[in-house]
Amino acid sequence: MPLEKTLRIPSYLAAALLLVALPLLIRSNYWIGTVNLAIIYSIAVLGLNIILGLTGQLNIAQAAFWGIGAYTAALLNTRLGWPFWATFLAAPPMAAVFGVLLGFPTLRLSDRYLAMATIGFGIIINLILQNWRGLTGGVDGIPGITSPVLGPFKFSTNASFYYLALVLLVLVAMAQIKIKNSRMGRAFQAIKGNELAAELSGVNTFKYRVIAFALCSAYGGMAGQLFAHRTKYVSADVFFIDMSILFICMLMIGGTGSVAGSIIGASLLTFVPEWLRFLQGPWAMAIFGLAIILIMIFMPAGLAGLAQSIGSKLAGRPEPEAQPGFRAPTSGNMGAAKRNK
Amino acid sequence: MFDITTFAQLFVAGLAMGSVYALVALNFALLYKAVGILNFAVGESVMVPAFVGVILLTVLKLPFLPAYVITLGVMVIFGVIFQRTIFHQLRERTFLSILVTTIGASLFLRNTALLTFGADPRVSPNLFTVKSVNFLGVFVPPQYLLIIVTLVFLVIFQYLLFEKTLLGKKMQATAQDRDMARLLGIPVDKIILITFIYAALLGGIAGILLAPVFYVTSDMGFSIALKAFASSIAGGLGSIPGAIVGGLFIGVVELFCAAYISATYKDVFAFIILIAVLLLRPRGFFGEKVAEKV
Repeated sequence: MPLEKTLRIPSYLAAALLLVALPLLIRSNYWIGTVNLAIIYSIAVLGLNIILGLTGQLNIAQAAFWGIGAYTAALLNTRLGWPFWATFLAAPPMAAVFGVLLGFPTLRLSDRYLAMATIGFGIIINLILQNWRGLTGGVDGIPGITSPVLGPFKFSTNASFYYLALVLLVLVAMAQIKIKNSRMGRAFQAIKGNELAAELSGVNTFKYRVIAFALCSAYGGMAGQLFAHRTKYVSADVFFIDMSILFICMLMIGGTGSVAGSIIGASLLTFVPEWLRFLQGPWAMAIFGLAIILIMIFMPAGLAGLAQSIGSKLAGRPEPEAQPGFRAPTSGNMGAAKRNK
Repeated sequence: MFDITTFAQLFVAGLAMGSVYALVALNFALLYKAVGILNFAVGESVMVPAFVGVILLTVLKLPFLPAYVITLGVMVIFGVIFQRTIFHQLRERTFLSILVTTIGASLFLRNTALLTFGADPRVSPNLFTVKSVNFLGVFVPPQYLLIIVTLVFLVIFQYLLFEKTLLGKKMQATAQDRDMARLLGIPVDKIILITFIYAALLGGIAGILLAPVFYVTSDMGFSIALKAFASSIAGGLGSIPGAIVGGLFIGVVELFCAAYISATYKDVFAFIILIAVLLLRPRGFFGEKVAEKV
């Protein structure tokens, strides 16, 4: 048996053990809270990975879907008394409905229109959240969201919430790996590779683009629901377009198209500014902006792509094909977007 | 309670704001048409000159003319750097990767400006000493008129440049088919560089004009750019007349909606127009004349 395979199961076990023991190792309540935030961001970024990484379409409104999920959970919980598990079932579909509503008209158009439409949509949602006082509490937001409860067990501390969030992250990450390798996932990747060729090979590109968009927004909605129950309070200012851009940064830095990359990117951009205290606010954002430029120029496949090429060099294998983060164009300057509708 | 004077005043103010959107949308459309990129850092090419201008005028206390000339000079350098560092490096990459990189550039420039100049809004001195002038019976700030007149002048200039000069023809040829242009002996790289410089200068003019009537902040460009995106979609992505008409349209409609419908949701209307246009007539008022390149 090759060494790699022999080591696989023990290393998985070690990773699982480490993740389970993490709250005991960290001990600081604050840092576990930050880990929880990283998990929530990871879920939102995994959603973005479906649309941007797999299908090659840009969604600059993931923060809006995140916000829709958060407000859905907050309203159902505080007004109607729905518990965590009920809002958990309600928030992702709600975000997906908005995703389809936005996606249906714009996905027929080429990707540049989608980019513009998602920007507009994100801003409209944010302004509504800020100004519709009757529903969203305006700038005051919605306080008093309850913690998840499962039987006799209450996930009210950061450490207990961590286990819940971790299980959910593992589930959605596994789901995404399944999706990626399924017929649907291959259809997504075919659209990204060359939409016209995908269409000609019998892929219903419109249907799959809508599905990808719905999945992306559902992941966003789920992250929002978790966020609402974690912070127990939502207000509109966090669901701004800058957050959408930050989600894109997380994905680009981790590596588009990669599940592990999405999680690594989200965790890294949550933790780095926390570790380096001076790296707060505008400093962090300026550096993220610069990082995007440098990564796009020098390592378009992100950290995941870098790790992969180092890994295959060490193993003496030929380099894998450039990770499909951003495919080299076939010709001209328009690359993937060749459909002219 | 409809009042014709208020209506006219709103209209002129809307046209002035719309002219700024149009200038930025023109910049956006120009780069889209010429090199096929959506430049999400277009707003920063308004914010940077606005700051440079304000610093030269208020800190170094330069008179208007040299301050504005230096500002435009800075924008030439800005255009060169932008083209060299971003577009030139990524020219063989996909549309989407360039778009994401310009988002990165926008994020970087906005936050660098915030770190350098602070969060307090700066106010630029006004070129004009009078507060308002009587224009056809409507009292309007002269700066508004200057903005509108400048836009008209620039439209004529750009028409002459593109249609009547060899340089303009070369720019058009490069925009239509880079490989063909190269075969015809047009120095494509140089022409693209000139296009970027021209776009940066348009941003410079917009920044200079806007500074006296708008608070100069690190986010000013971003908020204007978002409206300019809406304008260029409304007018038709990549269409030069579309950018101008779309900008004026968004500027006027936005102010009327704010005055007669809801001031709270003032910023929403531009994006409702954006989404409505995408639903009903995705090619905008003018449509995309140059088909997407295959």
